[in-house]
Order: sequence, then structure tokens, then C-alpha cells
Amino acid sequence: MALLEVKNLKKSFEATQVLKDISFSMDKGDVVSIIGSSGSGKTTLLRCLNFLEQPDQGTISVNGELLFGGGESKKVSETEIRRKRLHFGLVFQSFNLFPQYTALQNVCLAPSLAAKEEGDFRSKEAEIRKNALTLLDQMGLSDRVNNYPHQLSGGQCQRVAIARAMAMHPDILCFDEPTSALDPELTGEVLKVIRSLANRHTTMIIVTHEMAFARDVADYVVFMDQGRILEQGRPEDVIDNPKEERTRQFLAGYR
Amino acid sequence: MFITVTQSLLEGFLTTVKLFTLTLVFALPLGLVISFGSMNPLRIVRIPIRFLIWVIRGTPLLLQLLVIYYGPGIIIHQNVWGSGDSGRFFAALVAFVLNYSCYFSEIYRGGIQSIPVGQYEAGQVLGLTRTDIFFRIVLLQVIKRIVPPMSNEIITLVKDTSLARVIAVYEIIWSGQSFIKSAGIIWPLFYTGAFYLVFSGLLTVLFHAIEKKLDYFVV
Ligand SMILES: Nc1ncnc2c1ncn2[C@@H]1O[C@H](COP(=O)(O)OP(=O)(O)O)[C@@H](O)[C@H]1O
Ligand SMILES: [Mg+2]
Repeated sequence: MALLEVKNLKKSFEATQVLKDISFSMDKGDVVSIIGSSGSGKTTLLRCLNFLEQPDQGTISVNGELLFGGGESKKVSETEIRRKRLHFGLVFQSFNLFPQYTALQNVCLAPSLAAKEEGDFRSKEAEIRKNALTLLDQMGLSDRVNNYPHQLSGGQCQRVAIARAMAMHPDILCFDEPTSALDPELTGEVLKVIRSLANRHTTMIIVTHEMAFARDVADYVVFMDQGRILEQGRPEDVIDNPKEERTRQFLAGYR
Repeated sequence: MFITVTQSLLEGFLTTVKLFTLTLVFALPLGLVISFGSMNPLRIVRIPIRFLIWVIRGTPLLLQLLVIYYGPGIIIHQNVWGSGDSGRFFAALVAFVLNYSCYFSEIYRGGIQSIPVGQYEAGQVLGLTRTDIFFRIVLLQVIKRIVPPMSNEIITLVKDTSLARVIAVYEIIWSGQSFIKSAGIIWPLFYTGAFYLVFSGLLTVLFHAIEKKLDYFVV
């Protein structure tokens, strides 16, 4: 059974249909790259998976559990949504770190609050901190844990944001153009840590315009155009030998 | 003479400080409630609140004091404020709280709306509750942004308290002015100015300290 199964997802903003019948699936440990020109609906798709937008139709299932769709009533409680969205993590283009917290505090905040809600913060505090330090170390930030976001470079901020998302142990980690706000120099260091996550079989969906990176790191590439998945498959096929004229046109812009 | 004047001014000053402090105690939280109302997605809540803010900010505090103090007696033939000094003080307090909570609410609203939506969304995708997002993520950033406009407004309040004399609340200027008639001297008025300067000076120092304290991060 696939880890993630998205079926016939549709989403409109007022008159414009932004997602038109999106279906795809992925297995545990897969890295899926979503490519496509801007405005094609990539961000909206990730936001639907993370419950920041509510799709109009379709289903989203993780591990066979139906998270969205299936005709349940529209009003789902906040607690329920919070539980469901924790299957996913999201790394934003603009990092969105919390400025009043250090790198370490940014990573510890959500797990600490979750533990407090469960009533076992005291017993878990040390473990949460240790886990956060391990994650920051993996991101190459062990000497930056006590710095505030404004004291960090964009690349470092994005790496803190990745550690922060991983601290909640999502099944699937989503990235929305994680390097688009960065200089080429800083892009490299972020791509490097994402690559290291891929080598450790972290399940990821990565929206990116870095074609060489997508080709390299993805097990599966999805090309989106005007709210549809026009082509999907192994990177060798989609990126090197696209079937669709539109895909060829899009990729020509990156050569 | 100096001792007599000082004693009299201190008495007036006590009323000034009481009015100032109580106004803050009630208007700071009430302003937050009003700001939430003014951002409420329901028009039926938002529109009347915005209307109230417009009326209060668009008319003089002096006028509001007079209407609130004399209004009930004349319109509904009820003395709702109680009698004597305490009744007039109470009416003045209500007018100040209403006026200042509307001003504060606009400062809060500006502060809250200046927080990028990405901060909320980052909290949401990490599974935080709405309450935690507000108190653990948004609030301190809002506070940092509103300290400068708030300190302006609060220092204005120090001076605005003198308007309460229009309904015969015996604040410090009232005390100082009484010496013009009774003793033909003007210096007690300058003396009241010194009280204001020291008071607003202390507040300025306090707000500087708060700004310094929040200097460790950048919003
Ligand atoms: N909140 C919104 N309201 C209205 N239109 C939106 C909203 N979010 C996205 N859109 C529109 O949906 C389309 C797809 O946007 P997006 O998902 O951001 O594409 P991409 O990430 O591929 O660039 C765009 O035309 C955009 O203008
Ligand atoms: Mg996008």
C-alpha cells in the first residue's frame, strides 16, 4: 500500500480552478519532485496536503487512513485537523522562523507544546532538547544553536526551518521552493542537506526549480501545468525524455 | 507658602495619578478586546465596533467627558454616577477608559495585522493550537512593534488627565490654578508643569528600558 495516496483533488479560488483533478501516490522513503511553471498550482497542492487550504473535492490518505474527503461533514474540529496535519511537515520558501526564539528554541517549541498538552513535558524535556540538537547538528548548525534568526544567513535559516519541521516526525516532509529566496551560494548548502535527508530515505515532496537537483535526488518527478499533472514518472523519463510538448517547452527554459 | 502649595498640588497629583493608572488598568485589556472586535470576520460585530472607534477618535475627549457626565442625568433622568467627588471621578474614568481603549485598539490592530501570515502558518503546520500561536508566537512580536506608538499614547494620557477638570475633578492643574484666585500667584502653575515633566520623564525612561529589553530580536 502506498504511503500517500492523493485522488482527484480539486481546488478553486472563487472563479479560478487552481487544482484540476490531481492524483498521485508515493511510497515510504520516496522523494517526489514537483516541477512546473509558476502559477501551475504547486504551492496550492502542498498547502492542501498541510491543511492550510481545504480542497473542494478529492481524497488524501496516508497509510490507508483517509485524512480528507470521503464525504465527512465539512466542519472538522481544530484538534482533529491538528492531528491530521502532523502526518506532513512543510518547509516554506520564506523560512518563517519565529524571530524571538533561538535556532534551538525554534526547533523545540512545537514538540514541547505537544508534550505539555499530553502532560508529560517534564519527563520528555531532555529528550526533546537532545533530539533538536541532533537535528541541528545534521543540518550542520551545531555552532549556531543559540543564535536568533536575524543573526543567521538565509541558508542557515532554511536549515533551521528544516530541523524544526523534522522535530515533529512527519511521515512526509514537504518543501515549497526551499531555495528560491537564496543566493546561488547559499542554495548549495541547503540542497546538500536535503540530499543527505534523501540518502537517509526521508520521505519528501520537493517543489523546486532546480532541475539538476530534482533529476538527481528524486525517485519520481511530477510535472504540473495549469492545475493538472501533465506528466509523471522517473526523472530519467520526465526530465530527459519528456513525452509532452508542454513539458519539453518548460524544460527548454532550464537548459 | 511653598509647603502649602506643595501639599495642595500633591493632593491634586494623587487624583491625576489615580485617573492615569486606573485608565491604563482598564483600557489596556479592553483595547485588545475591541481590536479583536474590529477585526472580526462577522460584519455584524465588526461594523458597529469600527463605528464606535470612529466616533470616539473623531470627537474631542473634552466633549466625551461632558456627554458622559451630564448625559445620563439629562436624557434618562438618572444619576448613574453617584454623587460628589467620587461620582465625578467615576464618570471621568469611564470617559477616559472608553476613549483610550479605542486608541489602544487601533494600535493593537496595526500591530497584529503587521505580523506576516507566514508566522501563523508556520505555527499551524507544526500542529500548534490557535491559542499557542497567539501567545507563544504572535504576541511578543506584536508587543515589540507597538511599544513606540503605545508609549506616545500613554504619555499623552498623562497630560490628557487634566481635561477631567471640566467636570470638576480636582486634578493637579485645578489645585495649581486655585492659587491664582486665592493668593494672586502664578508660580504654582509652573510647579504643576514640573510634576508633569517628572512623571512623563519617568515613563520615557521606563519605555526605553522595555524597548531595550526587546532589542534581542528583530521582527
Ligand atoms: N489564496 C488565493 N486566492 C486566490 N488565488 C490564489 C490563491 N492562492 C493561489 N492562487 C492562484 O492560484 C494559482 C496557482 O498558484 P500557486 O499554487 O501558488 O502556483 P505555483 O506555486 O505553482 O506558482 C495562481 O494563479 C494563483 O494566482
Ligand atoms: Mg509556489
